[in-house]
Amino acid sequence: MTMAEAVPAALGPGVDRVDGRPKVLGAAHYPSDVTLPGMAHAALVRSTIAAGSIVRLDTARAADMLGVLTVITHENAGRLQKGKRNLFFPPPAAPLQDARISYHGQYVAVIVAETRQQAAAAARLIEVTYDRDEPVLTLDDAAASSQSNPYFIDMKRGDAKAAMATAEVTVEGTFTTSPETHNPLGPFTTVAQWHGDTLTVYDSTQNPFHVRAVLAASFGLAEDDVRVLSPYVGGGFGAGLRSWPHTILAALAARVVARPVQLSLTRPEMFTGVGHRPSTMQRLTIAATRDGKLVAIDHEGTSTASMGHEAPTRKPPTRKAPLQSLLKAPDEQPYPITAGTAAAYACPNVAARDKRVRLNIAPIAHMRAPGEAEGNFAIESLLDELSYELGMDPIDLRLRNYAEVQPQTGLPWSSKALRECYTVGAERFGWAQRDPTVGAMRDGRWLVGYGMAGVTFNHYQAKCHARATVHRDGTAHVCSGATDIGTGTYTVMTQLAAEVLGLPVDRVEFELGDTRLPQAPQAGGSGLTTALGSAVHNTCVALVQRVLTLVSDDADSPLRGCTIEDVVAHQGRLQHADDESRGETYSEILGRHGLSELTVDGDSAPSRAEAGVIVGSLVVSRLGRFGRKLVGASHATVPAGGFGARFVEVRVDPELGVLRIARIVSVNDAGRVVNEKLARSQIIGGTVGGIGMAIFEETVRDPDSGRVANATLSDYLIPVNADVPDIDVVFVGGPDPANPIGVKGVGEIGLVGVAAAIANGVYHATGRRIRSLPITIDKLL
Amino acid sequence: MRPFEYIRADDVASAVGLVSSDPKAHYLAGGTTQIDLMLKDGVLEPERLVDITRLPLRGIRRHGDVLHVGALVTMEELAADVTVTEQLPLVREALLGGASTQLRNMATIGGNLLQRTRCRYFRDPTVLSCNKRSPGSGCAAISGAARMHAILGASMHCIAVHASDLCVPLVALDAVAHIQGVGAQRRIPLADLYVLPGDRPDVENVLQHGELLTTIEIPLLPAGTRSGYLKIRDRSSYEFALTSAAVALAIDDGVITHPRVAFGGVGTIPWRSPEAEAVLRGASVNTQTFRAAADAAIHDTFTVTGTAFKVELAKRTLVRILQTLTEAG
Ligand SMILES: Cc1cc2nc3c(=O)[nH]c(=O)nc-3n(C[C@H](O)[C@H](O)[C@H](O)COP(=O)(O)OP(=O)(O)OC[C@H]3O[C@@H](n4cnc5c(N)ncnc54)[C@H](O)[C@@H]3O)c2cc1C
Ligand code: SF4
Repeated sequence: MTMAEAVPAALGPGVDRVDGRPKVLGAAHYPSDVTLPGMAHAALVRSTIAAGSIVRLDTARAADMLGVLTVITHENAGRLQKGKRNLFFPPPAAPLQDARISYHGQYVAVIVAETRQQAAAAARLIEVTYDRDEPVLTLDDAAASSQSNPYFIDMKRGDAKAAMATAEVTVEGTFTTSPETHNPLGPFTTVAQWHGDTLTVYDSTQNPFHVRAVLAASFGLAEDDVRVLSPYVGGGFGAGLRSWPHTILAALAARVVARPVQLSLTRPEMFTGVGHRPSTMQRLTIAATRDGKLVAIDHEGTSTASMGHEAPTRKPPTRKAPLQSLLKAPDEQPYPITAGTAAAYACPNVAARDKRVRLNIAPIAHMRAPGEAEGNFAIESLLDELSYELGMDPIDLRLRNYAEVQPQTGLPWSSKALRECYTVGAERFGWAQRDPTVGAMRDGRWLVGYGMAGVTFNHYQAKCHARATVHRDGTAHVCSGATDIGTGTYTVMTQLAAEVLGLPVDRVEFELGDTRLPQAPQAGGSGLTTALGSAVHNTCVALVQRVLTLVSDDADSPLRGCTIEDVVAHQGRLQHADDESRGETYSEILGRHGLSELTVDGDSAPSRAEAGVIVGSLVVSRLGRFGRKLVGASHATVPAGGFGARFVEVRVDPELGVLRIARIVSVNDAGRVVNEKLARSQIIGGTVGGIGMAIFEETVRDPDSGRVANATLSDYLIPVNADVPDIDVVFVGGPDPANPIGVKGVGEIGLVGVAAAIANGVYHATGRRIRSLPITIDKLL
Repeated sequence: MRPFEYIRADDVASAVGLVSSDPKAHYLAGGTTQIDLMLKDGVLEPERLVDITRLPLRGIRRHGDVLHVGALVTMEELAADVTVTEQLPLVREALLGGASTQLRNMATIGGNLLQRTRCRYFRDPTVLSCNKRSPGSGCAAISGAARMHAILGASMHCIAVHASDLCVPLVALDAVAHIQGVGAQRRIPLADLYVLPGDRPDVENVLQHGELLTTIEIPLLPAGTRSGYLKIRDRSSYEFALTSAAVALAIDDGVITHPRVAFGGVGTIPWRSPEAEAVLRGASVNTQTFRAAADAAIHDTFTVTGTAFKVELAKRTLVRILQTLTEAG
């Protein structure tokens, strides 16, 4: 049967989205569209200080308002338990449990009323008196506590320091990136309904099973007594990977008023309630020989995180051992910036370290290519500086240091077409026309700059389950409790199932977004297509197997005695691979056996190499050359994530500081591309996000209060159409043997490298090296 | 949102009466400022909202060399007007450079002229210090995120920008506003409509409560005048100005005549610059002249950390639009 090597590199240029029609018709119900009989509405009150405590809450006026059903504060919320420890997705502190405040925007009350407007009006009448502490708000505040090696994955190989000391050429720089807010279009919404002691929740989430676990823990329920539904989510970009306090509060409100409750965040609440990309500061040094061979990389990255509710205000730096603090204070998401550094280039000496600084800011969340985007910005910018230092073409410099094997472990990649990314991209972009001299290219008043960057993206895959059913009418139903946040999961899974079962796509229905379905991982880490796609594939293969078992000694079946290798599935029929006339349809088989349907469960799991790479990398880190020998003896293959190259033409008006992006070529090795149209859309979306990161996006916090000062879509700038040029998206490479369907994730990689390529273009145009994002007019004046 | 009374007015007199008689009444035109401030931000809490969109204030009429524009003409309608397109490029460019098509289809000229500041400290009632919202409470923007704020006419009391693009060419053109009060009409040069914040930033213009803006008179430029509007911002579209400049001038024998200059994005009111005009008048066309005009215009600035760069940017903005206008043809 179909295996990765046997299938075409793409399943065709693009099946239209199967969820496109319901979405356009308004028939796709997002959580905010869910209306239940008797449903009440909740609104939130947020703290207006960043550190301190509540002294007094006056709720009387609000409670008296027309339509108000209840006001819940820490004084009457009752006990809620905190969710179980989870390293990747730490549950939020249980909301409304005490008077402590650790960030501006923390929820201090929930109002439930008959209508949304009534709840919002009443929320404004709640008066809160605070005892304010001085908040810690910036990375460089001396009072901020800083942790070294907070995730326990600092990495090294060789001796970077010693190599630096004798290197022929050294470049260094400090790079900063700004906090960003995900801002999916759909405001995150929860609708909660209790039936006795069981809870049903419609939620905007990328991670329904995690939400289920957190809700179950919060209310002391068995996980089976909580059902989370999220068939449609209005975007996520990572904001939906964690569980958030508003979801718990919606469920609490529904319990208190004994009615279904809808709680929909406002746009300003989306800036504090569902995470943000933290700000980062990186110090990077790269050393090389005169002819462009890298000899050492020293990379230190610091990212910010919230204080956490347990230690809400400034205090002396903790001296706890990192592992202990990671396990003991698991209230923030790991946010390593340098984790990809050791894997990017063939450089003998590397030191990559992370630090974390805790501030009185709202909790962070992974946002499209978390850490990878920031780390790449520093490395690819500084490599560009090095290329000028050496007088070498930036592509040649990267090829000179091409990592033929995974450089930290020395193990082979499962696949890698980064070289093609460079060559194909350079060709399509016309890189050869570039005059490397700074400021040499002009178009009227505009200075023209060409910049490029390379990308090595992390691989990620988690365990995933699926279920597949074939019906007597020749249709199939395949399902798994994953989410489609607009990326195309519905469509791609339908295609993959149809491919194995040999059915036209319109005979296959794919269902997701319900924790009653088989368990799936989050839509995140660019890993869902790999995990879920493999699970769907394996499950459908198992289903065909079951059908064959059914007829294995069925005298009436032309397929009697066939094994799965002997058959192909085509047009609703299983037939002999070498004689298509000998076969029969699913309908015929099920009918003859008196079955209305046949169902199997299946799953997929990451290869052991998945975890092995991290362990192997750390072993090399600790044990040096001996470690490398040890790891080499495993003869494992490193499952590769995507690779890419970005080529950007920028225009800078040097007098006015105005920067415009003229065109972008984005080439990616994404393994096998299952649906080119959707994959292309993902890359385009990622590229637009990259433009945003590079030149617009910044969540601005007031230096005194910690309030987000631009929490609207007119004040928080993301690219508009006029800012987005033609984006030429190209896929190279082929099926990756690390998973049965040959894919690599495309959800995040498109964003990575864009910021560096733009900054490099700006340097080429103007001679100004901007190491701090976003690159706004004032920085180019 | 507090409950409020909504009344749709049928004629000008009753609209004016309905608002004038109730200190807690507001007008509602296109609503793109008013509704945001009420429903989303919770800054305005009128008890009565008088919808004026049915009033007969919609036409654009030419009377000799003056264009009369009804207060309810939308931004898109005015931008599409033939006379504006042919003779007032600076007005058209300012209109089309503002907001988005969707907003411009809703937003009226009257509303645009009387729009409230975009200052995010003003627009968030949880911020306690805002002299414009609560006189005497201080100004949180001074020490805050003030990139979009003013450097001219600003002080410790308030640095809020008057954000209208349209107002910039209109003050440069000596536009005049027709105002209807209870039983009385008056005409106010637009430049005199706005008042500098001083220590009372809550007072933004000379209108009495309930006075209705009915028409705006825009004098047309004499034939042979060149004009334009240049708006500088990070985004290519859908963003307020960091700095902008509206300019009209003629060139006679290599010498500048009839210069008109105003700035946007930098002033607490739409900022006409007689100083720049004085430098330009009778001067020859060259970059030194332009720079001298810019230096004359941007003086006595009040800057904070976030706005310091605007001093230079505003000057370069003027220089650039002057270069563009004088190079062409
Ligand atoms: C996201 C966004 C972006 C924007 N970008 C820009 C931009 O780039 N450039 C720009 O110039 N503007 C911009 N605007 C502002 C927009 O142009 C104004 O909101 C609009 O012009 C207001 O007109 P309106 O008819 O909607 O007024 P309304 O919102 O109805 O009213 C505004 C105010 O004027 C009063 N009012 C209205 N009409 C009259 C009248 N005839 N007499 C007396 N009082 C009256 C109202 O009571 C209210 O106080 C933007 C707005 C938004 C929301
Ligand atoms: S700048 Fe003006 S409007 Fe803004 S906070 Fe200060 S006083 Fe208020």
